[in-house]
Amino acid sequence: MWAAIIFRIDHFPLTWVPMYSVFEPRETISVKVWDKDKDRKGFIVTYRDGSTGYVTSKDLNISKPHFRRLYYDLIPDSQTVETASSNQEQGNIETGAINRWLRELDQAEHRFAADRDWRMFWVFNKTLRREPSDPKFIIRIEADHQNRVYRKEELLRQDVRNVQVDTRRALIEWRDEWLPRWERGIL
Amino acid sequence: MASSNIISRAWNQFFFTGFSGESLGLLRMYIGCGLLIFTTYQFGTVLTLNPLGAVYYFIEPVWYFKLLGIQYHVPALSFGMYAILMGAILSMILGKNTRTSILVIMLCIFYLKGVRDSFAGDVHHREIIPMQMLFLFLLSKCGKANSRDARQLSNTERVQEWEASWPIKTMQLYVTLFYFWSVIAKVRTSGWVWFAGEGKIQEVLIQRSVRWGVTDQGEFIKNGLSFELAQHPDLIQFFAILVLAFELGFPLILLIKSVKLRLAFIMGVTIFHISCYILMDVNFLLIPFVYLIFFDLIPVHQWLKTRAWPLFRRRPSLAG
Repeated sequence: MWAAIIFRIDHFPLTWVPMYSVFEPRETISVKVWDKDKDRKGFIVTYRDGSTGYVTSKDLNISKPHFRRLYYDLIPDSQTVETASSNQEQGNIETGAINRWLRELDQAEHRFAADRDWRMFWVFNKTLRREPSDPKFIIRIEADHQNRVYRKEELLRQDVRNVQVDTRRALIEWRDEWLPRWERGIL
Repeated sequence: MASSNIISRAWNQFFFTGFSGESLGLLRMYIGCGLLIFTTYQFGTVLTLNPLGAVYYFIEPVWYFKLLGIQYHVPALSFGMYAILMGAILSMILGKNTRTSILVIMLCIFYLKGVRDSFAGDVHHREIIPMQMLFLFLLSKCGKANSRDARQLSNTERVQEWEASWPIKTMQLYVTLFYFWSVIAKVRTSGWVWFAGEGKIQEVLIQRSVRWGVTDQGEFIKNGLSFELAQHPDLIQFFAILVLAFELGFPLILLIKSVKLRLAFIMGVTIFHISCYILMDVNFLLIPFVYLIFFDLIPVHQWLKTRAWPLFRRRPSLAG
């Protein structure tokens, strides 16, 4: 246990605290707007034949909370990251030399498995049993949602009228360079 | 030399005395009853899926799924695993093939947790404490008292005090340190500002109240009480200091001899978890079932057997 302190380890199996132990004072509070209609409709997708449709939690056979997580994770969390989702950005942080060696990555090789966009297409198409040559193969996924941004000092004056609504969109597209990885999957 | 003797005596006194085989057997039974509810609550989402529906490919398999090459979810298999889990817990409660049952429970939890956390990549660690306890039950002789397995034992094979005490005391130590490290982590990662009236607690209270939206009249759709509380930094500061005190002082429960004092402390912690759930949606609501480890359950069991159980048994005859 003392080693955990010295080496600054406080994750599994020692505690669950990282989620609730981190606090950085901020002036604004941003919350996602839970949109039941969007939850029901799901992701907007475009197929290879040009038609469009929706992918819902029922199509994927996953629970609504998991689907919601999948949906919101596609969208950038921060204004500074406009083109990539937070998970993707985090997953593609340059790995260290030992990490690259363990994963058997060549010097300039991209850590492909961490690419969230690729994962989304692989998960959707595989789950819906669509192969890349299929006309109903999904080639574009879209999601959007709104965040409400409040100023903390106004909230503490019980003033909830002054709210900035911040709409965020995500659009990811299939890339044929991913084809060689299709059978290997994400592992 | 003298100090090492004192340490050794205190060590032996702490780990190897205080509980009988019967206490250990009863703890196994009651923790098993808690696990029936706890695991159902944890893995309930998997049971809401269509067992014959689509085979979902995981977006972020947990590390041991990656290691085992598990890439997709077979819904019917999860239903099967849940049924096996319930059967194994019942078997653990009865003490029938106890060690095997505990091992099966652990494997089922690993599988169902892996499935649940691989769907979208959000990993939850609510099973950590129960899993550590199951591991200690597995190593102990908990199946040799108050169990079907014990019926075949001779008197010489009965569980000794030291054999019954060390698993329970280790569980107690683990749980107390769990809370202790969490307060250390708060101070280390955020500093004392975490405990300020305008600190983490206030932020979570506000977030959880505004996230469901407001009506046209400016009232919160849900969690209005959280918002009200957020307006009182002094009160929050008081609660934050309480959190600091109870998490830091949790290991002291190991030194409290009085059952009433221990019960009061544990009830305080339970209220803390319930309040966190109601006000902040921090969902460790069912964790308090593990606090049974801080008590010798023999008197509780006797009371249930002699007072409470007859009440249930008398009902049919009254109805007749």
